[in-house]
Amino acid sequence: MQDKYLNAIVVGRRALTDRITEILIAAQDGRALPPAEAGSHIELRFGGEDGRFLRHYSVVGALTAGSAPEPFWRIAVQRENRARGSAFIHGNFVVGTHLRVSRPLNAFRLMRHRPKTLLIAGGIGITPIFAMARSLDARHENFSAVYVGLERATMAYVDELETLCGDRLSVVQTEYDGIPDLKALLAKQPEGAQVYVCGPGGMIEALVAAAAELGWAPDRIRYEVFNAAHSPEDEGFEVRLKDGMTIPIGAGMTILDALEARGVETYADCRRGECGLCTTAVIACDGELDHRDHFFSDEDKAEGRQMTICCSRIRGRVLELDI
Amino acid sequence: MATIAPQPPKRQLSDNDIFAAMEPHDSGAFANNTTPLIRNTWYACARSTEIGRTPLARKFLGVDVVLYRTLDGQPVAMRNRCPHRSFPLARGKLLGDKLVCGYHGMEFGTDGVCSKLPALANVPATASVRTFPIADRGPLTWIWMGSPDLADEALIPDTWWLSDPNWGTVTGDFHINADYVGMHENLIDQTHFPFLHPDTVGTPEYARSKLTASTESNQVVIRRELLNCAPPGVYGKPADIMDKRVDRTSEARFVSPALHTAYARVRVHEPDEGKPGLYRYNITHVFTPETNNSIHYWWFNSRDYLPEDEAIDTFMLEAHTQAYSEDVEALEWINEVVRTDGEEQFDLSFAPDKPGLMARRIMYKLAMGEAR
Repeated sequence: MQDKYLNAIVVGRRALTDRITEILIAAQDGRALPPAEAGSHIELRFGGEDGRFLRHYSVVGALTAGSAPEPFWRIAVQRENRARGSAFIHGNFVVGTHLRVSRPLNAFRLMRHRPKTLLIAGGIGITPIFAMARSLDARHENFSAVYVGLERATMAYVDELETLCGDRLSVVQTEYDGIPDLKALLAKQPEGAQVYVCGPGGMIEALVAAAAELGWAPDRIRYEVFNAAHSPEDEGFEVRLKDGMTIPIGAGMTILDALEARGVETYADCRRGECGLCTTAVIACDGELDHRDHFFSDEDKAEGRQMTICCSRIRGRVLELDI
Repeated sequence: MATIAPQPPKRQLSDNDIFAAMEPHDSGAFANNTTPLIRNTWYACARSTEIGRTPLARKFLGVDVVLYRTLDGQPVAMRNRCPHRSFPLARGKLLGDKLVCGYHGMEFGTDGVCSKLPALANVPATASVRTFPIADRGPLTWIWMGSPDLADEALIPDTWWLSDPNWGTVTGDFHINADYVGMHENLIDQTHFPFLHPDTVGTPEYARSKLTASTESNQVVIRRELLNCAPPGVYGKPADIMDKRVDRTSEARFVSPALHTAYARVRVHEPDEGKPGLYRYNITHVFTPETNNSIHYWWFNSRDYLPEDEAIDTFMLEAHTQAYSEDVEALEWINEVVRTDGEEQFDLSFAPDKPGLMARRIMYKLAMGEAR
């Protein structure tokens, strides 16, 4: 088996907007990186004294449209006010910073030979959508794109996207134009149109609902759910292990990351609540388990005897695990 | 008093500068059997009839691939390696349009996304296998092993004559233990004809006929013209013009890392009544590196007259199978020497090798452009 992670290094950084920074990542040994296609994401593992982080970022694609793969990956990170991972990146990543990074994974595949593809981006959700627009344009496929943001100055890559797409792009600034009518947008798509959306959860839900109202088959709207391990409302709590060890879990940290940092032997693969490898038996909890995975059934979750420690949390102060 | 213009300070040349000045220019570099294989191009992966409802395992550019067709006939190409524990997917089975791994039953759709993982209730979204763009064109199916985001089907080389009913085509294939760069060089080098192929395409005066070589974008073209000569048997016998004097014009073209095309045009000085005065033969060499030292090779010889004539087909098939077997044998011998001879040797090149070197330089640049 090959290692999922490789040693990487930051080779470039530039500000795209006040809150969005673009980072170029290359293999530390200078070798060619495994290929990333439109829709792919990478896992970034990093951290310092403040803690350990794992975050997923879509690969934006080459700097030069239509060029062969470049020797680095490009990601764009938006600084979120209460999310410590993005703040850490903004505050600490400089050229030369070392990282662990996964090989590219693609859970957001761009299909081929569709009569029409509609791309919808909300805010920082532009990162995979930009790569998809590049791909569709290079392959002369029929597509259009809608890019929704607060206002132009907050929207990364808007100029590049306009140059690439021309008339095929609509830019919606909600500050001036209001919220777009997603149902009307879908209603005017031709037969067989395939939609890809990346953006805030509320926007994806609204689009899925609009498609359902129009009687569309669910798989005509494709989106990717990154892990729900972090939310601005999260609070810290404590985990107790069988040997009596007590480990504090910070608001922006997962149980798994905290256990790993203390050298506890754990198992994990996807780190986004899908594979179930990190599943752990719960001995006791002084509050409610907050299941955030897609692994357990609703009945399993209601029973509350196990949890995925890569993303799930508790609403309480102390969790006792069978480790 | 004379004024002295300020001089830039004299800098001592360091060893590094000297070595840098001694470095050969990059333009002197030519692809060989160790150059990384070129990925961003369309390659033939099979005859379209070879791909069906039985998964077909084949290696292209060092990557194991499985090929099959959906129930409605669409070709599918994916890595022949389950993302779970590397079981070769071609050893699994088809269930409708899905390929089912023979180890733990993971089911993969035509887009490579896992739709069922029997050991789990919900399939992880990251459970997917890499797929490759693939498309049928006439008798061949083409695959793109590079970045799928660049796989524009309009870039598949046009070989319309292979499907045109007005043309008669004979075809064959080989699996060769040789380097595909050497294969391209062999095809664009026609001075070997009289020696390696004395009984088919090589007539003695052909080697000395005037040659022009040029590059057009990333293609290399050579043209030859031999006026008022006897026709070579391979073209004269099937057309029944061996007693005639002819003008023979030919072109050979390095089209892409995947394709070499050539044509021969034979103009008869005094054609017999009711017979054509001009015969055209299109020769199509399609090949895909399996590794740096092995090739999948399909060849086609097409003629623009008597497409249904079985006697001509038989003659053409025998003559060309013989000629190409001679090339295959030669390339395998060369590859064997290059790979196993203990003392290195740099090849000498002569004037007629220019077209081959032009093609090798293009391939080098394409490869280096991808492998940075």
